Amino acid sequence: MIFALVFPGLLVYTFAVLYPIFKSFYYGMTDWKAIGEYNIIGFENYRKVVFEDKVFVTSLLNAAVLAVCTVLIQHPVAMFFAIIVDKLGGKLESFFRAVLFIPCVISIVVTSKMWVNVFNSSYGLVNKFLDAIHLGFLKHDWLGDPKVALYSVVFVIMWQGFGYAFLIYYSGIKGIPEVLFEAGKIDGANSWQQFIKITYPMLKPVILVNVSIAITSSLKQMEPIYLMTNGGPGTKTQFIANYLYSQAFSAQKYGYANAIAVVFVVICLITNIIVQKIFTPKDM
Amino acid sequence: MAATVYDKQNLKGKIKKKTFRYIQIILCSILTVGCIFPLIWLIDFSLVKANELFGPKVLVWPKQPHWENYRLALTDGKVPQYLLNSVIVSVISVGLIVILSVMMSYGFKRMRWRLSNVFLNLVLIGFMIPIHATLLSNFITFTELKIQDSYIALIIPYVAFNLPQATFIMSGFMDSIPDAIEESALMDGCSIFRLLFTIVLPIMKPAIMTVMITAFLNVWNEFIMAATYLTSYRFRTLPFSVYNFSGMYSSNYSAQFAVMALSAFPSLIAYVILNKHITKGIAAGAVKG
Repeated sequence: MIFALVFPGLLVYTFAVLYPIFKSFYYGMTDWKAIGEYNIIGFENYRKVVFEDKVFVTSLLNAAVLAVCTVLIQHPVAMFFAIIVDKLGGKLESFFRAVLFIPCVISIVVTSKMWVNVFNSSYGLVNKFLDAIHLGFLKHDWLGDPKVALYSVVFVIMWQGFGYAFLIYYSGIKGIPEVLFEAGKIDGANSWQQFIKITYPMLKPVILVNVSIAITSSLKQMEPIYLMTNGGPGTKTQFIANYLYSQAFSAQKYGYANAIAVVFVVICLITNIIVQKIFTPKDM
Repeated sequence: MAATVYDKQNLKGKIKKKTFRYIQIILCSILTVGCIFPLIWLIDFSLVKANELFGPKVLVWPKQPHWENYRLALTDGKVPQYLLNSVIVSVISVGLIVILSVMMSYGFKRMRWRLSNVFLNLVLIGFMIPIHATLLSNFITFTELKIQDSYIALIIPYVAFNLPQATFIMSGFMDSIPDAIEESALMDGCSIFRLLFTIVLPIMKPAIMTVMITAFLNVWNEFIMAATYLTSYRFRTLPFSVYNFSGMYSSNYSAQFAVMALSAFPSLIAYVILNKHITKGIAAGAVKG
């Protein structure tokens, strides 16, 4: 009986999630070029990925930049607006809450391709806007200039994910009992004191969850990069997932790409464990 | 005298409160415009001829909407065909995700067996595994099994990768409901599967809504697996109309914008209709996840 209940789900899950990782582990030990014969070469690929591959290091650093930007820019802004929107009440509140989530329901292909156009150097919205407000000297080839490309990509990812961060903080704030704020008001607390003494401590579990999601998902970004820059210019905007994909399907280094995939999974598992150790609220 | 002083202070307080509120509304409006202006720009220029894009204006007023762009999107962009594929894949996947996750969490949470927690945790590890790490070997496996380029090649991984979160939400919810009703039904000789579908499923409704919404958004907008496991146009899903079309009409930007607007349209409509459920479901899923 138990078998009949859990077997179908476990089978699908094992087949498409767990088994591929073991299979990749095997192919990672080969020099397979996606076609033809291949030789087992032991842990050579893994050694190269971990100790020699500069692009791999760049990809990790880019993920770190994204994580830092998300936590230090996107989240404070999202929390700030969650607090403000919560205070508006009525129709305005539901309007802003609804509209701010719109980018999250649109396919990442649409939004990525849209931003490619928005960033375009000759007809893009950003450069035209800068011209219109007489700041033309700030114009850039936003996705092509090695100096700014990574930050443009990071910006788009933060833009796309803003609604989620906002919504989680917003519902966290909604979960704080109104009585606390009323008591604070009676005691004469101003907005800042309310935030420090009531909102922040009550929101702490939500912040921790939100921040750990941000860190782990920064590692896993791929689609926006694949669709906007494909890691370029050079390897300036490379992320691990996109790197392994291009190593397999463009460079035809299939064995090597599988080794990256396995190291990638290990890094994700370790990061998750560390993040959970640091960020799990003690009382949860 | 005292009364007028009090009134004055009261009035001052009121004005301060009002100004404060206006500042809040203005700030929110600025953020909102910042968030959706690129979308407005996109829709605006999807209604004009491509060459107008190169003018100096940030937005243009389309005196005569250039519907030709949308005609191209519907015909050469194959939006209707991809839409149908998206609907088929999403409905089947989400249905399977709900059924399998309810069955699994019932098996893990309500049945007593020795390894139930081990297996539950094994499924939950899936949260941490990036889909991208499985793209290469799943591609090989599907090719070996000759199921690449079919609906199945999408449905299997979509279901598999949404099961961890779905099972997590379902089993969390199951923990919170008493099992007295189920026990009495079992005493009366009700079979497990009848019990599941007639008693458990209705009770689980809030959790099922959450799972359906999060899974649907994931599946509907998924791109990279579809790009990898499908090789022909026949089974491709909605995000591909944009992807293919931008290759075909590489210099007709306005037509490309029309395709983008069209493929964003279905999810926007669904969002406008279901917005309360969606935001609630996402919040519930994310906080628990």
